[in-house]
Amino acid sequence: MARERKRRHDQPAALEMTPMIDVVFQLLIFFIVTLKQEDILSHLDVNRPAPDSKPPPEKPQELLTILVYNEGFVLQGRRISLKDLDRQLTRIAKFSKTISVIIKCTSDSPHLYLMQLLDVCAKAGLKNLNVFSM
Amino acid sequence: MARKHSEGCGLDMTPMIDVVFQLMIFFIVTIKMESDVNPEIRLPDAKHGPIIEEIPPQMLVVEVDQHGIISMRNARMTPDHFRNLMVRRYNQIGPFPVLIRADRRAKHWMVKRVMDMCTEAGIWKIQFAGIQEDKTPDN
Repeated sequence: MARERKRRHDQPAALEMTPMIDVVFQLLIFFIVTLKQEDILSHLDVNRPAPDSKPPPEKPQELLTILVYNEGFVLQGRRISLKDLDRQLTRIAKFSKTISVIIKCTSDSPHLYLMQLLDVCAKAGLKNLNVFSM
Repeated sequence: MARKHSEGCGLDMTPMIDVVFQLMIFFIVTIKMESDVNPEIRLPDAKHGPIIEEIPPQMLVVEVDQHGIISMRNARMTPDHFRNLMVRRYNQIGPFPVLIRADRRAKHWMVKRVMDMCTEAGIWKIQFAGIQEDKTPDN
């Protein structure tokens, strides 16, 4: 007993670390488990006409019209795959990046197709994108 | 000599505690406890669009899930409620940017409905959110 008291007296600042380390480890594990890395997001900008306004009359020299259907894309009256559309738009963008692109979507077309098309336009550098609904 | 022996295994804990504290502070700082987006929405890919660095305070973020349900900050609302909100906000602060987080499985009419309500309020420029770089490959 006497020896015990003496020993305690020898180490006045011996703080008990074990519970603190336990708690800190618990917290650390909690934060590691709940950590979730966020996706990096991008934005694709479009212009939207008023709902009651009609699409402007087609002028082939300055407007490019692309239709988005449930099954795919239509450019100049012909069905076209996304890859070919990418090639075409890149070629068009070499002449003019400010050309007005009119995108017409049907109601039941997937939003994914519109986004794929907008992404391809962004890749080509086309800025003036207008989305109409059919 | 005798004292050292009485302490038993004399492992020095200080560096380990330092490292653990550093890690803990890192995780506390980087954690985002409450995500204010609808976790159900799977955004489409948009690898070539400009990166969203930070949402400007004026920007209105609206979510459209795969069933066409409109929500803001993960709070559902009816189309009428959304329309009223847009009109009121436009009357208060004028034109403001709108970002639509629409699910990749959504149909165009669901997005069209939201866009039409934006144009009714007087907003012509609309942004769509997409994933530039996928950091969560599980979904």
